[in-house]
Amino acid sequence: MEDGPGGVVVLKPEGRLNMVAAPAVREAVASIVEGGRTKIAVDLRAVEFIDSSGLGALISGLKTARQAGGDLRIAGANDQVRLVLSLTNLERVLTPYDTVENAYGDA
Amino acid sequence: MPEQLRRTVHLTTPPGDVNTVHDFLAELWPEAHGVSDVDRISVETALIELAANVMQHADTDGAGLACEFTIVVTDEAIDMTVRDTGEPGEIQLVGAEMPELDAESGRGLALITALVDHVAYSQEGGHNIWRLTRARTTGA
Repeated sequence: MEDGPGGVVVLKPEGRLNMVAAPAVREAVASIVEGGRTKIAVDLRAVEFIDSSGLGALISGLKTARQAGGDLRIAGANDQVRLVLSLTNLERVLTPYDTVENAYGDA
Repeated sequence: MPEQLRRTVHLTTPPGDVNTVHDFLAELWPEAHGVSDVDRISVETALIELAANVMQHADTDGAGLACEFTIVVTDEAIDMTVRDTGEPGEIQLVGAEMPELDAESGRGLALITALVDHVAYSQEGGHNIWRLTRARTTGA
């Protein structure tokens, strides 16, 4: 976790975002929002794989951030992540941006 | 006789988990020459989703589960077979629909059906057996 541009908090999960790893992502977002930060970017460049558990964690984080008046956006998704987002229609709510900077380009 | 590549892994939960299946696939791909990226990604995602569902739902008493994963790669298709010792018939694979966008779970089975061409479930000798088949795409 680190500070990005415009007050954005950047979360950088690594490896496989599956049922083993998903709870930590969910908890990390909840912890950031509890700490008063609500604009979150998830940098997925180091994520090689995501499954429905990982997607669930991102959706959970998105809802948590939005309920607090912020947002959660994703960047740097690889082909596998983009395929899964597309098949689940979730790219409509989790638009895959190329970079963290672009994710909050309107910020 | 067409060439085929067949690999099997056995695991018991715990300590085995979906990462055991990931590692199995990571070892398989270098041997499976010519499998396209989209086939590899689709097979990997479908099998991990199935493994996660088996581990979550078939182990109803929390006592752990023994599973066997087999992959067969031929020129035409990639077949996946999962056998477990869990409770019978706990998972409905057919007709799974994608949930609402804000749902935090329930996408796994719909994803599997979107990623493979054929899904079958049977019970044989006290085992649940799932078979997934994806026809191979041509080209890289």
